[in-house]
Amino acid sequence: MKAPLATDHDPAPVGSAAQPAAAALEGVTFTYHGGDRPALRHVELELRPGQTVGVMGASGAGKSTLAKCLNRIVPGFEGGEFSGVVRIGGRALDGDRVCAVAPKVGMVFQDFESQLFSTNVAHEVAFAMEQVGMAREEIAARIGPALHAVGLAGFEDRDPTSLSGGEKQRLAIAAVLALRPGVIVLDEPTSDLDPEGRAEVFALIRRLREHGLSLTVIEHEAEELRSCDRVVIVREGEIIAEGAPAEVMTRIDLLEQCGVHPPDLNRVLRMLGIEAHAASVDEAEHLIRRQRPGLEREHELRAAPERTNASPATPMVKVQNLSFAYPFGPPALSGVNFEIAAGEFLAIIGQNGSGKTTLAKHIVGLLAPAAGRILLSGRDRTTLRPAETAHEAGYVFQNPDHQIFAATVEDEVAFGPRNFGLPRDEVERRCEEVLRAVNLAEARGRDPFLLSKGERQRLAVASVLALRPRLLILDEPTTGLDYREQRRMMALVGDLNRAGIAIVMITHTPWLVAEYARRVVLMRKGRVLYDGPVREFFERDELLESSSFRAPEVTQLGRRFGITALRPEELANALMEPG
Amino acid sequence: MPIYLYIDRGSFVHRLHPTVKVFALFIMFWSVYWVDHPLALLPLGLVIAALVRVTGSWPNFYRLRWLFILIVLTTTLAWMVFYRQGPPLIKLPLIHLSRASLVFGFGRGLKLAELLATSVLFLSTTKVEEFTAGLSRMGVPYRVGFSITLAFRLVPLFIDSAGTVVQAQSLRGYDFNQGGPLERVRRYVPVVIPVFMGALRKANNMAMALEARGFGMSATPTSFIDYPIRPRDIGAFAALIALGIVQFAIYYTGYGAISVK
Repeated sequence: MKAPLATDHDPAPVGSAAQPAAAALEGVTFTYHGGDRPALRHVELELRPGQTVGVMGASGAGKSTLAKCLNRIVPGFEGGEFSGVVRIGGRALDGDRVCAVAPKVGMVFQDFESQLFSTNVAHEVAFAMEQVGMAREEIAARIGPALHAVGLAGFEDRDPTSLSGGEKQRLAIAAVLALRPGVIVLDEPTSDLDPEGRAEVFALIRRLREHGLSLTVIEHEAEELRSCDRVVIVREGEIIAEGAPAEVMTRIDLLEQCGVHPPDLNRVLRMLGIEAHAASVDEAEHLIRRQRPGLEREHELRAAPERTNASPATPMVKVQNLSFAYPFGPPALSGVNFEIAAGEFLAIIGQNGSGKTTLAKHIVGLLAPAAGRILLSGRDRTTLRPAETAHEAGYVFQNPDHQIFAATVEDEVAFGPRNFGLPRDEVERRCEEVLRAVNLAEARGRDPFLLSKGERQRLAVASVLALRPRLLILDEPTTGLDYREQRRMMALVGDLNRAGIAIVMITHTPWLVAEYARRVVLMRKGRVLYDGPVREFFERDELLESSSFRAPEVTQLGRRFGITALRPEELANALMEPG
Repeated sequence: MPIYLYIDRGSFVHRLHPTVKVFALFIMFWSVYWVDHPLALLPLGLVIAALVRVTGSWPNFYRLRWLFILIVLTTTLAWMVFYRQGPPLIKLPLIHLSRASLVFGFGRGLKLAELLATSVLFLSTTKVEEFTAGLSRMGVPYRVGFSITLAFRLVPLFIDSAGTVVQAQSLRGYDFNQGGPLERVRRYVPVVIPVFMGALRKANNMAMALEARGFGMSATPTSFIDYPIRPRDIGAFAALIALGIVQFAIYYTGYGAISVK
């Protein structure tokens, strides 16, 4: 039997020039049906056997199209005008059906819900092998090693829907590995995952790489691609930069222009005048100490007060002994107590299933407490009329597409105010006001379904803001957005907060918590585990470890010098100050 | 809360051959079809209730309890409008309340409820892979069988998504319960559009992922699980045929009909 991570298309030694490339795109240009410009232009890319190539770029830059060319989804499934050649193991894929390429190129998609079809984990891994007509004995022999390789041994009988996000994505990888393809393509495999899930998947990718598999990883967080052999940046369908991570990831301005989050460690180094690439916090520390020997002190940032607009004397939300359970489920919330002051900026964090969204839904009245109560501005929430609740607290769902239905952007925003019976001129005034606030005034007459994901997310915020809530709850407001869109979204949220609206942000993203929130509520298994300032939270190693929440690398680096910094600028300034 | 209906237990119904389970579904539909009288439907209801208990499917029936109640009540009422047989017990506008219309309407409601209950029982005890295998064994082409079973996987996802959309719109002050019946249907447009758009996107993603995993490469894919026919399957098969014959005999002899006097 082959080793668990063997491939049926055994590669030559890593990077061997004698062997054909594991995968290659030669002069590929592609325009989608109905597209007004090419999604890819003259793309040349080579993946040597055993190499890992990272592909970065903004949303719509062409990363996914590039990935889909490797297994013929483009143009075999998503049609359009295609020219150029795609080769796998030296053989051109001209005319091959997508399913026929599956044994050679395995693909893992961002949406893990859409790529799991089976009732249990073993069936899921067997699925692709059944489709290619493999013998039952061979299928049975491959399931165990594939699950072992992704750390899911013993999960054979579990229902895939009962797995965590990280486990689901690792299962999708196992299902691909079982076919032992020569190339594996991972298209933003961690976008929808919590930090623990992300860490699991990237640890697995590193393991696959060590076993000599040829990988292509699409991602817009550069930090995650530092261990690749090569990285490329795609902009408007073209590869505009390519090289080793150390070369590309120090080009911070270029990365930002291309909608990619540059590694924050490199940003700190550059602010300190060190033009170098740090592949880890250890490396960054070493580079700084070499340039600034004797740098070791306790910094006053440790005790610096948090910036806040909050008025603690006037809590607008009081959650008292709140408990809740879904039918036939374990307790989703158990005796939760906390308050939100007017004008606060609060982040609720915790693993999937910890009770974050359930808690938020109680505040806005979508769920009724089994025990305990919620007071909004001193009044029991259950006694408020819907319009009164909407004026107190608005809730923006994670997926903006769960609410968008109107024919125009303006109608979408006007929907809420009209439902509450506001006069026409007041509705118009509010639409004008909120569309300007979210920078969509120019798009008022456009079809919302034709907006980008970032614009649709801002539209969802606008349509809730039009009800003028005093508290805005945002559930994962940056999921699926590229770095540029994330920054734009968070700038909007920051502006709203400065205008006096209290913000509750449910998020899995450490740097968002560090840079924007002033208070953290950490939840686990329906209980509040920590409720306090952000800086103090990132100093509590035992909490971070037990909650699988990582401090941003900037914070980790700062703490090596006795500084709990939350932003790259803050750390760089602190390190530049005379000791 | 689980989205899908399948409940992983080791009951004898769970362990039956997939083809027998698909056949059982057909026989139950057949048996319900031939009789109209609630008393003739009652034994089938008791069989279903016993199987629900044995298979541990009760949580699914509890989840759908309002749907069952709604089906029986609305069907009974609707037939009292159209089935105008027998002397009226009370004079009411639109509704013809007689013993015959009440029995007929309730019988129809019970029929629909039993059809739904049989389907829920089937989905509670049958994995989608077994469903596909059962259909294939009965001669349904693999691609057709897989598509049918995939639809069963997708429907709960769409229901879940519709629930989220309803929540999102109601938070923006939308009242789904305003106006008469037609107006109420029309008021679901803000739910239908996001769910429909989401369904299209999901179906496209799923089709892409299926092809990327080799779906369509072989017209007769292999099966990882072997489903041998065991003595219990033959026993169940015989019992189902007997049930079908008995229900047809009840119809044929006129016992299952409703007399209008």
